[in-house]
Amino acid sequence: MSLADTLQELKESATGRIARASSLDELEAIRVETVGRKGVLAGAGKEMAQVAKDERAAMGQLLNAVKAAIESALEERTSAFQAAALTARLDAEWMDLTVPAPGVNPGALHPVTQVQRYLEDVFTSMGFAVLSGPEVETEFHNFDALNIPPTHPARDMQDTFWLEGGRLLRTHTSPVQVRGMKRLGAPLRMIAPGRVFRNEEVDPSHEHTFYQLEGMMVDREVSIAHMLYFMKTLLKEIFQREVTVRLRPGYFPFVEPGFELDIQCLLCGGGGCAVCKYTGWVELLPCGLVHPNVLRAGGIDPGEWNGFAFGLGLTRLAMMRYGIDDIRLLQSGDLRFLNQFR
Amino acid sequence: MKFSANWIAELAPGLAVKPHELGALITTKTAECEGTEAYAPFLDHVRLARVLDVRPVEGSKNVHATIDAGPLGRKQVVCGAPNCRAGILTAWVMPGAELKGGRKIGTAQVSGLESEGMLAAGDEIGVNREHDGILEFSEGAPGDPLPGIAPDHIIEIDNKSLTHRPDLWGHLGMAREVAAITGVALRDPVPEVEWAGEPPLRVEIEDYELCPRYSALVFENVTIGPSPLWLQYRLESIGLNPISNIVDVTNLVMAELAQPTHAFDADLLKGSTIYVRRARPGERVQALNEEEYALDGQALVISDEGGAEAIAGVIGGRPTGIHSGTRRVVLESANFQAASIRKTSSRLKLRTDASMRFEKAQDPHNTVRALARCWELFQMVSPGIRLAGGLVDNAAPVKPPPVIRLDLAWLNRKIGRAVDRQEVERILRSLAFGVEPEGAEALAVTAPSWRATKDISIAEDLVEEIGRMIGYASIPPRPPLAPSEPPPDSPEREYQYELRRRASAQGFTEVYNYSFLSEELAQRFGFPPEEHIQVLNPIASDQGLMRISLVPRIVRNIEDNARHMDSFRLFEMGNEIHKRAGATDDGLPAEIPHLVAALYAKDGGGEAGLFELKRLAGILAPGVEVSPAGAARCFEHPRRAWTLKSHGETVGRVFELHPSHCEHGRGAILDLDVAALFRLRPAPVKYKPLRRFPVSEFDLSVVAGSRVEAGVVRSLLLRAGVPTLLGVEFVGQYEGAPLAADEKSLSFRVTLGAADHTLSADEITAGREQAIAAVQAAGYQLRM
Ligand SMILES: [Zn+2]
Repeated sequence: MSLADTLQELKESATGRIARASSLDELEAIRVETVGRKGVLAGAGKEMAQVAKDERAAMGQLLNAVKAAIESALEERTSAFQAAALTARLDAEWMDLTVPAPGVNPGALHPVTQVQRYLEDVFTSMGFAVLSGPEVETEFHNFDALNIPPTHPARDMQDTFWLEGGRLLRTHTSPVQVRGMKRLGAPLRMIAPGRVFRNEEVDPSHEHTFYQLEGMMVDREVSIAHMLYFMKTLLKEIFQREVTVRLRPGYFPFVEPGFELDIQCLLCGGGGCAVCKYTGWVELLPCGLVHPNVLRAGGIDPGEWNGFAFGLGLTRLAMMRYGIDDIRLLQSGDLRFLNQFR
Repeated sequence: MKFSANWIAELAPGLAVKPHELGALITTKTAECEGTEAYAPFLDHVRLARVLDVRPVEGSKNVHATIDAGPLGRKQVVCGAPNCRAGILTAWVMPGAELKGGRKIGTAQVSGLESEGMLAAGDEIGVNREHDGILEFSEGAPGDPLPGIAPDHIIEIDNKSLTHRPDLWGHLGMAREVAAITGVALRDPVPEVEWAGEPPLRVEIEDYELCPRYSALVFENVTIGPSPLWLQYRLESIGLNPISNIVDVTNLVMAELAQPTHAFDADLLKGSTIYVRRARPGERVQALNEEEYALDGQALVISDEGGAEAIAGVIGGRPTGIHSGTRRVVLESANFQAASIRKTSSRLKLRTDASMRFEKAQDPHNTVRALARCWELFQMVSPGIRLAGGLVDNAAPVKPPPVIRLDLAWLNRKIGRAVDRQEVERILRSLAFGVEPEGAEALAVTAPSWRATKDISIAEDLVEEIGRMIGYASIPPRPPLAPSEPPPDSPEREYQYELRRRASAQGFTEVYNYSFLSEELAQRFGFPPEEHIQVLNPIASDQGLMRISLVPRIVRNIEDNARHMDSFRLFEMGNEIHKRAGATDDGLPAEIPHLVAALYAKDGGGEAGLFELKRLAGILAPGVEVSPAGAARCFEHPRRAWTLKSHGETVGRVFELHPSHCEHGRGAILDLDVAALFRLRPAPVKYKPLRRFPVSEFDLSVVAGSRVEAGVVRSLLLRAGVPTLLGVEFVGQYEGAPLAADEKSLSFRVTLGAADHTLSADEITAGREQAIAAVQAAGYQLRM
């Protein structure tokens, strides 16, 4: 058989095998065997020396043509295999993202923390300092400085937890009024959120441990009209809507005059419903103009300065906001409840 | 406090406001009305009727009666009352009435006979609490409404909102408010009485501070019996129990004038002197409520020659009380110091209608007024009663109420709108204040005696009087001046929020726990009870100590939640309260904020949880380091407890709970001192230039005992003194062949470098050798 025939046959058989190959490995074996460095074509190249001089150019061309044909067939099949392999891999990588992601979900902040934080932001934007006071208080700060002398019947209104050494657990956040005035002087805008204690039996609507936010503003000119405006603005922020408020007399020894501030029932709009006990109004917070004795206790001259103060029930606001109907849940540590506030 | 709308209307004649509107007016102008309810509305369907004849009903205790209801005609009624007899004038409930509890009265068949309506006992129509017989009236005509017994409305006022108002503990005080609000006149029910004659009694007052005034009258020829039904009805309607004519009058006058009085049987008092004195320690009084009270030396008593007969201002004594045979009465009307009564009443845990009123600082001027009113009513309820002698009245001089200067411009500034001078004067006068002009700009104002005991003393008090009467709704809101300075910030508070936020982002849910714990719980955690601040009056015995650690309650949270969940994370931020003095200047205990995080897993060996908490610690307090704990506490796993340090200072602890404190599963706890963390918090980041020259790294494997901590070896490397050392990182550990059973190999990646050049091969070799030498000097072999 002549070299030309051999090459022709090689081309036929190689391209045939390439076409029938079933894997990349098989193609590689064919490549090594045919066009590899030690393959058949390389061997044929060595035989060129024995080819007659005048045939050598034509034979060289044939050899190159056979090589090119085989390589092109290899390349075509290889990319076909690669494309198929990629398609197969991608197909195999189907996944289900509807199953939960691994790792932990974020926890929840306590609902009272969330309400408190929100209110602190509101007040800070209105120029109020946020102050803290101790939970264990002196009688002086909790009562006397707030114009509640030892014999005052107002002490009946608050059932106090007494501690050894004549201390007590603060019954309201109001003691921070006096501490704040002493620290910051006049003029003054401050709030004091925190935990307070009353010696009360616990039931769905009563707790011995709950949260308040005290607020106070002292300036040269402070009137009931100023307080009303401020309260309306504040409540609009808190409830994210216009609220109608009314003041009525309320007795708190540390303010004079003292008020209960009611808001028109947000549920029925004042028409009367179960929530407002069919009065159209919901009692929201106590407030009033700061009693001159309290200003004096805070080192501020009541002849020069006036102020108003108010107390927001954080616990109550949180319950209103989230529709919580049992106050005991707040201190229960029950994650089935708390995790709802994520 | 319950108020009868009819009664108020009698004292404020001309009042044209409906009871429900009255409640709303009182709420906005005076005190909080908790509700207004119709009382005995069915009385519109009740008439006087005379029993004409009574026929027995066979086989029944009932009788069949014919009654005459005047213009309404004759009726047949079946009645079971034993006193149903011909001739009596009684209460007939007409068909169509609906009594208490929705009980409908119609024409019914009773014992086979027709009964048109019914004859009523006192308790059936709210007159009194009698059920033994039908009512009997002594005056009136058949067919008329019951005399003095009409449908009423009861206005319930929140007692708390009356704390500062002694006068509002009687109907007259409330009527005065209503009259001032609505502009009608007030009718004072107290008659003018000229007292004549020698006082038949002596009164000795030991301390005028405690008893500023003691007035009394003595009555003779008294007949004790039931009160007229209108009087019983009036007491019943406001929740007081009718007892007998004399006692009922004293209760009526208390409910009207707010002045409590007390009636003694004069013949049972020993001697003719009444002593108002402090009790002798241990002295006993048998009280009208059938209890016996032992007194201490601070209680005030009313005593005769024989000893204490009443606890002043709180309750009378049984032995000298009014009884059916009483013929002579001593009627006491006194004034007591509010604080003293309050103290005695709370010490005895005995709050009475009298003590509640005296606690509010009653008006000393009111004692004789109450006597005059009682005297008038006694004559109506006990015909033939006579005064024995004149008025007994022992009083300390009363300070005249202060004159308060009310600057009108100041008043307007306080209210925030202008109020007319005439309007101010009108309001104050309608509330019985004395008002005199003081120049063009001010008024000289004097409070009435019943507001001067405590309530009104400064001009601010008058702002309230004017403000509430003009109506707060009439004040237009005005914006206050904007603050000129931004508020001071509170970095500690912000820091605490940041910790909370980070903890929750790591899956920990915030809980709130009580600040209290029980002695038993403290002991279970090895916290000595005496280190805790004690609550002297705990709400329950398991809440007697203030927490010095948040951990016991957190462990309780773990137990509770483990009942519902297989794994969870939670945390609390709260104050530990320690006996030692804190930072405030008034010697208050130290309140130290702590963040305690807990992680529970029902399954697993617990290591993962501890690593999670270590990660959390690093997130909350970057740079915090784990170091060996001293001895583990009783609730800690003895081999799994560590302290956490920051800048060499202890800032917390991380541990697994001892199985005795976490029976099923594993609970791990991280306890951080937030105050310390805040103090040691990282300074703001300062940028470091990026490294310009390459670093060199090599690994070292150190063979160590199986319980040698990687951190110990790492710190050997860090402290080896290699000048070019940049860092040492733990890579991994290996146990097994060819190492001995009690050995392991710890691998570290050591990084060397310099800021100003690339390290030479010599420098790298020197560094490596120095590191190896340090490890070997500590007795460890290198694994090649
Ligand atoms: Zn409503």
